[in-house]
Amino acid sequence: MLWKKILAVAVVTGAMLLPALAEQPQVAMYGYHSEVTVFWDPAYSFSNEIIWMHNVYETLLRYDPFTDQFQPVLAEGYERSEDGLTWTFYLRRGVKFHTGREMNAEAVKGAIERTISLGKGAWYIWDAVESIEVVDDYTVAFHLKYPAPMDLTVAACYSAFIFDPAYDHDWYLQGHDSGTGPYTIERFEGNTLMVLEKFEGYWGGWEGNHFDKVVFKTVPSPSTLRLMVESGQVDIAYQLPVSDIQALKDNPNVRIVHTPSFQNLLALFNTQKPPLDNPLVRRALAYTIPYQDVIQGVLAGYGRQARGVVPYGLWGWSDRVKQYTLSLETAKLLLSEAGYPEGGFKLLLTYVSADENERRVAELWKSQLAKLGIELEVRGMPWDSQWELGQAPDPTKRQDIFLFYWWPDYAHPHSFLSAMFQTEEEIVFNLCYYSNPLYDELITRAAELAGIDRAESINMYVEAQNVLMEDVPGVSIYDMEYVRAVNAKLQGYVDNPAYPHVVWWYNCWRG
Amino acid sequence: MGGRLSYGLRLAGRNPLTLVGLTGVLVLGLIAAVAPWIVPYPQDCRGATDVGEQFQPPSLRHLFGTDELGRDVFSRVIYGARISLVVGIVTIGLALAIGVPLGVIAGYSGGLVDEVIMRVTDTFLSFPSLLLAMAISAMLGPNLRNAMVAIAISWWPWYTRLLRGEAISVKEREYVAAARAMGASWARVVFRHVLPNSMVPVIIQASMDFGGVILTCASLSFLGLGAQPPIPEWGLMISSGRTFFLTSWWIVTFPGIAIFLAVLSFNLLGDGLRELLDPKVRRRMLR
Repeated sequence: MLWKKILAVAVVTGAMLLPALAEQPQVAMYGYHSEVTVFWDPAYSFSNEIIWMHNVYETLLRYDPFTDQFQPVLAEGYERSEDGLTWTFYLRRGVKFHTGREMNAEAVKGAIERTISLGKGAWYIWDAVESIEVVDDYTVAFHLKYPAPMDLTVAACYSAFIFDPAYDHDWYLQGHDSGTGPYTIERFEGNTLMVLEKFEGYWGGWEGNHFDKVVFKTVPSPSTLRLMVESGQVDIAYQLPVSDIQALKDNPNVRIVHTPSFQNLLALFNTQKPPLDNPLVRRALAYTIPYQDVIQGVLAGYGRQARGVVPYGLWGWSDRVKQYTLSLETAKLLLSEAGYPEGGFKLLLTYVSADENERRVAELWKSQLAKLGIELEVRGMPWDSQWELGQAPDPTKRQDIFLFYWWPDYAHPHSFLSAMFQTEEEIVFNLCYYSNPLYDELITRAAELAGIDRAESINMYVEAQNVLMEDVPGVSIYDMEYVRAVNAKLQGYVDNPAYPHVVWWYNCWRG
Repeated sequence: MGGRLSYGLRLAGRNPLTLVGLTGVLVLGLIAAVAPWIVPYPQDCRGATDVGEQFQPPSLRHLFGTDELGRDVFSRVIYGARISLVVGIVTIGLALAIGVPLGVIAGYSGGLVDEVIMRVTDTFLSFPSLLLAMAISAMLGPNLRNAMVAIAISWWPWYTRLLRGEAISVKEREYVAAARAMGASWARVVFRHVLPNSMVPVIIQASMDFGGVILTCASLSFLGLGAQPPIPEWGLMISSGRTFFLTSWWIVTFPGIAIFLAVLSFNLLGDGLRELLDPKVRRRMLR
């Protein structure tokens, strides 16, 4: 009788265990250094929340900057008219919003019009749009004021989400969503925790390996985050100090993923204040930056020296653009020509005080300038104060060198070339106070050509960058690589720098 | 004089901790005085960098290792003594220069003048001193000079309070009354008779405050509101090395030890001085 008892117990426990084994939900976790949610409304999301929003909301197209190709998402295909003024998108059929309604041309029009009418976040990417036409249930056409690359616009990282337009701001603030994506909000805690669960009716289906839930958690301390990656609690960690990355390299449980990003560090020169109002002095300074020491010593090799202003990997980058290298001899010659053979002047550099990489770059640069008799005062300031000083009414009261990062609102070189270097009546980001009509003309024409003739547009952007390299209103020092520590078992993860820090969890699984 | 000195030393000898403090302060002063000539890598204290040498652990070549920009931590810690001492002297001097005249005037004059001075003092005292120093430093713009001004501004009220109390009791003494009776001017009475005889507690307090000021300055620099890179200030060194604590412990540990030793020395010395100069304690010690 005993064996019968044992069998019975085994069957019962087995029956209890089996479903537990089978239904164990697969949960992924993303450790992020800062708040995971700043804005709740997809129409004007403009901050960290894109790391989860891109899993809840989708765009018409998705852009792959490495191949310069577009992947169909909510649009299965699109056409551009000969004059570049009409773009027609053919929508995917049978897509449901999480609210239960169907995603169709009417909804796309409504969502984009709501984004434009709110006028917040990155809504200006739709600037070229004159009107949106519902051709039929699954066809939507954009009529433009001037030719613009709408494929890039609809694939933008911000303000291009297609959501159910029937809801307003307050509804989103309560923690609801109205996307079409594979995941939907399960619960959240303030702005430091977001839990997504899978949306059963997702158009892509749930065949194969997928996570059932995804957790986004704020982990402000880098050392805690490092321990969480090492123990496998976190599948992906963003922004660990370089020294921790070096230490994690040899850990078999962790994989280090590094990808060229569209973020670069720039030094903008005050072209309105002596001695940097003299282009010779500015060119001399471009020869004093220890580019290689910065990349090895500050970035531990995770980055590359910038060429021009457009970052490597983004269209508009070209090896036809001039690149400066460290050469104190050349700098000295240029300084002598400008009337400063022994240096003898003082410059003020400002940076964001909490940013250790910026500080180190400034200190390395300072030690080079000291050899030429130039004293660099390095001043760390909160961002608000740094920016305020940069906008002081009297240009001679402003800093001499403004150190900061730039990254694009959408994958377009115009984002880099216009905001910082185009003539500005009121100073916003042209913190070199540069104004060159020839340059302004070049980039305006290049932007207009971008939607019609990409190759010619690139040629003009290259020419514009060479104008900058000649006048040197500023120097881009390096193009960053995004470095992430990833659970070695995580499969399917590809970093796409056009969508900074976004992981499409639907494409990932644990092997 | 000789008799007084040996008497002082004999008293000090009864409290060995005072001697430890005194020795520490003297060593610190000596190091600060000769720092530029004794450090092995003087250029590293003035902002030179060498990326090829970064993150070297302590060795004979680099006693305390090197930091994230390849600078010798030993040289920078030694040089930092000079900065901390200057900060201490300047800040305390500044705080005394504001606090002492106000305190003696308030104490001696009494009445409305006393009321006004003391209510202003109370206003300053109502803020936690580090918070006030942070606010002032942020307002003036962060650098070492402004940090010293900021700390002095948050520090002087203590001296005013202390001196006022002492001046109130001193002004009732007979020698003050005598000076007044002989027709001495107000200023002469205040600054020649009342002030010198009320200074003892303030001097004791000031010597004890040295440690506190050094610590506050390091805190401000740590928060980015004091010394700016590449000045080898201890607090700043800890701040810039903290992200490497798990991998390169020496960058933050040695400046930390330096702050600890400096503050401890000044506190021990201040404690000892209080015992030496306080007649009640002194009598007990000699019994």
